[in-house]
Amino acid sequence: MNNQWLAFFQGVVVVKVQGQGAERFINRLSRSRVPVWQVSRQGEQTISFSCSLKHIHEVRKAARAFEGDVRFYRGEGFPFLLKRLLKSSGFVIGAVGFLVIILLLSNVVWRINIGGASPKMEHEIRKELSRMGVEKGKFILGLDDPETVQKKLLNRVEGLTWIGVEVKGSTFHFRVVEKTEPKEKKQKGPRHLVAAKDAVIVKLFVKKGQAAVKRNQFVHKGQLLVSGLIGTEEKQTKIAADGEVLGETWYKTTVEMPVTTDFHVLTGRQVQKHLLEMKTLRVPVWGFKNHSFANHKKDEQVHSVSFLGIKLPVNYVEKTYYESEQTSRSYTEKEAELHALKAAREDLQAKLSEKAVISGEKVLQRQFTNGKVKLSVHFQVLENIAVGKPITQGDKKNARRKKHNEYSARKPE
Amino acid sequence: MAKKWGEQMKGWLTKSMNLPEDVMMDLPRITMIGQLHIYIENHRGLLAFSDKEVRLLLAKGQLLIKGQAFTIKTILPEEILIEGKIEKLVYLEG
Repeated sequence: MNNQWLAFFQGVVVVKVQGQGAERFINRLSRSRVPVWQVSRQGEQTISFSCSLKHIHEVRKAARAFEGDVRFYRGEGFPFLLKRLLKSSGFVIGAVGFLVIILLLSNVVWRINIGGASPKMEHEIRKELSRMGVEKGKFILGLDDPETVQKKLLNRVEGLTWIGVEVKGSTFHFRVVEKTEPKEKKQKGPRHLVAAKDAVIVKLFVKKGQAAVKRNQFVHKGQLLVSGLIGTEEKQTKIAADGEVLGETWYKTTVEMPVTTDFHVLTGRQVQKHLLEMKTLRVPVWGFKNHSFANHKKDEQVHSVSFLGIKLPVNYVEKTYYESEQTSRSYTEKEAELHALKAAREDLQAKLSEKAVISGEKVLQRQFTNGKVKLSVHFQVLENIAVGKPITQGDKKNARRKKHNEYSARKPE
Repeated sequence: MAKKWGEQMKGWLTKSMNLPEDVMMDLPRITMIGQLHIYIENHRGLLAFSDKEVRLLLAKGQLLIKGQAFTIKTILPEEILIEGKIEKLVYLEG
């Protein structure tokens, strides 16, 4: 028996036979092995039946010998459906195009919301974002993922404490927490200036108050530098001492520097691959070439594809292979020492305040062991050693005494 | 005479050897499912067809099927499946 589904795919023709002896026509067909079905009488002289499209030639041949009228009334099945579809291909193209456009537009940045930021900060963030490519009308797929955007923003925008990045459909939401830097407290209360650390005074610049030390004098930590008590002994007034006391301080650091170091560097050559990921299935879309790098670093970025704000179970993956090279750097002992010294200097500079200047250095000890240079260095630094210390009632007498005998008064503490 | 003798021989063989008659004697095998379907094997062609009457040529004589709303579901050189409401089945001796 013929399969109805097979017939559907091959195509079915409905034939109408009109004339005397239509039965003979059907007999002839069945004798020439043409399967015929749904034979029914339509009228006095008309019989209609269906047959497969692939037997249409036999039907035609039989029709030539038949004296009546044979008409192919209607076509059914897949080939005819296809034909009709092609005829109205505009609709199909339109429908597909519509889906494609919606899909593309769903993955475009439409809005960037920044909340919790001052106008200045918002401008700053927007500027940085557009530098990173996060702008209205850009494809989300081509952008960094939210975590990277967050990291980059935190690194590049000054004054950000935290920023929350969220991609909701086609909108970027940013929640900003700004650093609220405390305004420098106006020291209103009366105070002295005392030494923050042991030092030799190099320069005194007193704005307010009375200097209690001289140049080239050695001071201990906590020693009074500028007194906030002015006036005569009998009629003293308390003020907030202000000024700068540059002192020479000392730091001793030890540094180690290996003579030879191995590290990986990127050569700049890279191969990119684009894939579509569905659950565990990954279909490469672009970049079929395999990399031929001996050493490489792999970077993988996964973007999710959304349709009308709904996440599709499809991810767009960008894989980049960077070629890397192992190089080794080796110094001579002399060079290693220089680099170690430089590293020590930078290390110290990072610890000191901005205004501090390293005025001198001296290598105390140098050792070469196990392929390493070990240095212990003594640095002389010029920095402001004055820090404020409020004058309390009880201090008043002490302060007066200190003026005459600064060092001994402080020492027992 | 020879033909008749041959047929007698066939009849005897079928009876004595318990062979199916339709194969041996060129007879139609008719299967009916209630009044709904009728399936005829071993016919010799369609003679007349309308929605109330179907006439089939057999090896010997004709078969007349009467009923209502007939359609031929399938027709092959020796098989035919008719659907409709079958009321009568008549053998016409030829």
